[in-house]
Amino acid sequence: MMARGVNIRSIVVQGISILFLCALIELSAGRVFEAMRGYFINLLPGLIVMVPPLLDLRGNINGALASRLGTALHAGLIEPRLKLSVEIKANLISSLILSVITPATIGLVSFGVNLLTSAPTIGLLELMVKLIAIAVFAGFLSGLILALMTVFVAVASYARGWDPDNITSPLMATIGDFVTIACIYLAVFLVV
Amino acid sequence: MVVYRVKRIVLESFPVLIASMIISLVAGYMLNSSIQKIAELPIILMMIPPINGLGGNIGSILGARLSSALHLGTLEPRLRGQRVLQRNMAASALVSFVIFSLIGAIFFTIAYVSGIPLVRSLSLALAFFTAGIVLTVAVIFATIISAFVSFRGGLDPDNVVIPIITSVGDVLGVTCLFVAIIIFGV
Repeated sequence: MMARGVNIRSIVVQGISILFLCALIELSAGRVFEAMRGYFINLLPGLIVMVPPLLDLRGNINGALASRLGTALHAGLIEPRLKLSVEIKANLISSLILSVITPATIGLVSFGVNLLTSAPTIGLLELMVKLIAIAVFAGFLSGLILALMTVFVAVASYARGWDPDNITSPLMATIGDFVTIACIYLAVFLVV
Repeated sequence: MVVYRVKRIVLESFPVLIASMIISLVAGYMLNSSIQKIAELPIILMMIPPINGLGGNIGSILGARLSSALHLGTLEPRLRGQRVLQRNMAASALVSFVIFSLIGAIFFTIAYVSGIPLVRSLSLALAFFTAGIVLTVAVIFATIISAFVSFRGGLDPDNVVIPIITSVGDVLGVTCLFVAIIIFGV
């Protein structure tokens, strides 16, 4: 009786469709990542160390934002309209603050990891400033773009009668990887 | 009444974010130590976002279903005699098998078209597929353990499982990929 609630066929069909779409977006993210190889290999030691934490951070900040917005919409704390209410503002501002202070920490720690593990090829102060600048610029820019998109997707899906819990997190996690890698590329291009 | 306060959200989130940053830094460190291999075969970089993303997604979807089943009472937090658990595990394994075969085939095509010899392209795709399957097994068990432990400890698995699994998926994804590449001698 209970096991009847688990329909393997529908989980597999839905799962494969969503994951295949996500995988195609991740492949484009991978293509941008590959295009940056020159920077990782020759130009800026320690840069590649920051990439998994920055990607992960993006997913975590926006995942939490999406999850809070889903709860707030269900609970009626936020109206499903695109209006900058006090609650939405507090959620947006906290995500943006986290998008600055955590990347700064990531930049600093990556510099530390690099210091311990490999011989420096450029001045230490220059390396530290560059790594932190890239992390903060990429973190803040992708944070701003993705936080606004998260609010839009959450409010729009709720207004259409979809459960934002099911839509916002997986969609934003995947789009987030692509936007973040593109922002890291832009930041590297500007800083180096 | 104002429910969300900036200070509270920031203070509660920062420690979790730092903890997950430390886990993902291990993945970054592994990439950095394999920089020679990456310089030789840059297509490896292209494999990183898909394998990490898929590992995280498979775990997150399973985690969300298990959390709901635990809340609804159709699943108990123990391993033996749980049909709901077995069926969920089977569904995740099947999804992962299909999806890693498809993406593996895409990587074979990309590698072969970009001028990598046939045998090497095949072993690259096979390494990606094998890494994906090993990653899936690890992610499924990590998801079940974190869902059960958090539910037993009185925490809401919805809040705990997904951040843990995405970070663990990053580290294991990169690890499985490089181990598979070494084993297949790509």
